Amino acid sequence: MIYSTELIKGTLKTIVLKLLADNKRMYGYEITQRVKELTFDKIQISEGALYPTLHALESEGLLVTEVEYIGKRVRKYYSLSPSGKSKSKEKLSELADFIETMKLLLDLKVKTA
Amino acid sequence: MYCITDEQVDFILDDIRRNGIEMEDLQLNLLDHICCIIEQNLEDDGDFEDFYRKTVRQFYKKELREIEAETIQLLTFKNYYAMRKTMIVSGTLSAGIFALGSIFKVMHWPGAAVMLVLGVIFFSFLFLPLMLLMKIKETSLVSDKLVMSSATLTGICFCLACMFTVQHWPGATNLWYATVGLSFFVLIPIYFFTGIRREGGKVNAIVTTTLLTGATACLFLMINTRPSYRMQEVKMYSWLQSEQLLQRMQGANTDTDKLAADINRISMQIKSLVLQNAIGMSAMPDDFERQGIFMEEGNTGPAFKDAQSGGTRLIAELKEKIKQYNAQHSTAPIPVAHTALDAPDNMVGRYSNYTILNTITQLQLYVVSAPHTLVATK
Repeated sequence: MIYSTELIKGTLKTIVLKLLADNKRMYGYEITQRVKELTFDKIQISEGALYPTLHALESEGLLVTEVEYIGKRVRKYYSLSPSGKSKSKEKLSELADFIETMKLLLDLKVKTA
Repeated sequence: MYCITDEQVDFILDDIRRNGIEMEDLQLNLLDHICCIIEQNLEDDGDFEDFYRKTVRQFYKKELREIEAETIQLLTFKNYYAMRKTMIVSGTLSAGIFALGSIFKVMHWPGAAVMLVLGVIFFSFLFLPLMLLMKIKETSLVSDKLVMSSATLTGICFCLACMFTVQHWPGATNLWYATVGLSFFVLIPIYFFTGIRREGGKVNAIVTTTLLTGATACLFLMINTRPSYRMQEVKMYSWLQSEQLLQRMQGANTDTDKLAADINRISMQIKSLVLQNAIGMSAMPDDFERQGIFMEEGNTGPAFKDAQSGGTRLIAELKEKIKQYNAQHSTAPIPVAHTALDAPDNMVGRYSNYTILNTITQLQLYVVSAPHTLVATK
């Protein structure tokens, strides 16, 4: 089963921040592949969602970039800035908390139904 | 693994641009991404163009430009956070500076005016407009936007009026009238009619409208009990007449008492300092009416700020002379009790320019009309 884009959208920032926290620096394609790998193809990040998010995170100052030339083309590597590091922790614990709450909420609903 | 040629890289970049991706950063990111996919997945002898088309097709729903639109939207949403941050910082800062400035003002410490003006400017030109922009974004109702806009405008007017009043700048009265006018004729009607029509908002609308009307009415009353131009005019002419009377009496008096001459000299110096601050001249010119010079009641300025200031020291010197004078003329001393000349040095700056001028002129009148000089002139 592949999850719907709505579900992924709200957590994409957190996913990107967490991946970058675990791997020093990554480029766009690498991020999509790593997510696919780690989730056994269940989560496939679309390019249309990933790059806008990366740009937004960069302009928020959470990510820093470095550029490398691969032949004629340019590869942009993303890594966490100091504020990105603390933000990734914050976002992660927020999501973990959210998941707990969702469990509670949905379990309750199942029981009362 | 497929090997992409330089021509193919150019081809892809060209295609991305043609499909409406204008941000260079995004172009380069997509280019590298597409190249990676092709390199990883296309067979060595595969059809490059066909595979490219299929790959790119997965990036979007309708057209490739969506990615850029989404990026721009996220970037502007980020502005929202920047705006909110600026709003909070400017609000806190202005409130802090304003509170500190008020304390300085009451204690007559230097720097109060700068702080008050800065506080009000931050508040009315940064905090209030930003708050309005954020609030307007949150609502889709035109009536709500109107209420917020008129409330903000009234608030800005109110703050400016306060600042102009405290700083004795011209135009304060007009700003007060603008505030009252905006509140009465724009804010309150709009607020009332939008509120009363809202489901379940009737009581709230009536109560708040009543409170707003009451507050505006109070403000209106307060503006009208402020000293008017006419009262200021009477004050000015009253002092000028004492001054003319003094000159007339001094003209008829040829007494050469050394102490009296000293008192007169210091008095003239003090008056010129006060006038310098009020009208920018050391004496009131004879044709002041023609020149349109008008002196408003206000503070005496930096020369009287504290005990060490030039004007205050002159007053201290004057007090000393009066003491000597009174010792010599014990039959007809100059009374100074309860006047500005009776106050401690650090309090002198609290008197208005007219209080000081009138006190000094009266003192000179006492000197010139002392019984012994009157006898001498007979």
